[in-house]
Amino acid sequence: MTRHEFEVAMTCEGCSGAVSRILNKLGVETFEIDLPKKLVWIESDKDVQFLTEALKKSGKEVKYVGTK
Amino acid sequence: SASPLMSVITIHIEGMTCNSCVQSIEGMIPQKKGVMSAQVSLTDHSGVFEYDPLLTTPEELREAIEDMGFDAFLPVTNS
Repeated sequence: MTRHEFEVAMTCEGCSGAVSRILNKLGVETFEIDLPKKLVWIESDKDVQFLTEALKKSGKEVKYVGTK
Repeated sequence: SASPLMSVITIHIEGMTCNSCVQSIEGMIPQKKGVMSAQVSLTDHSGVFEYDPLLTTPEELREAIEDMGFDAFLPVTNS
């Protein structure tokens, strides 16, 4: 399992709530969201492109930071 | 000046808490095929969408909003 760090342009609890619902729906095993820092950590074996596309469904800007 | 192939649907949306949520939906949904416009209201918890009924359906719009991570409900029709 790899731990990936993404920067997602979230500004409120609605935004982070939307992101976590998307990840839940995907069946992503483990994730953590830091709203003030606009960071999302995902532990998954799925590839980065798949995860990026999924996060982009929220309509927010998504940037892959790297493995953390 | 509405064209004959344009319908309007109001969809109830839960889970939006700020203007950024509103802008995300207003930015994403009109990218869908058949959607002409989206006007989302944070205070009313709803969005008004103009769409071409030949290209998309209210149910598809509802699903697109759900895919973005919000709860979306179509109006109950009194028939």
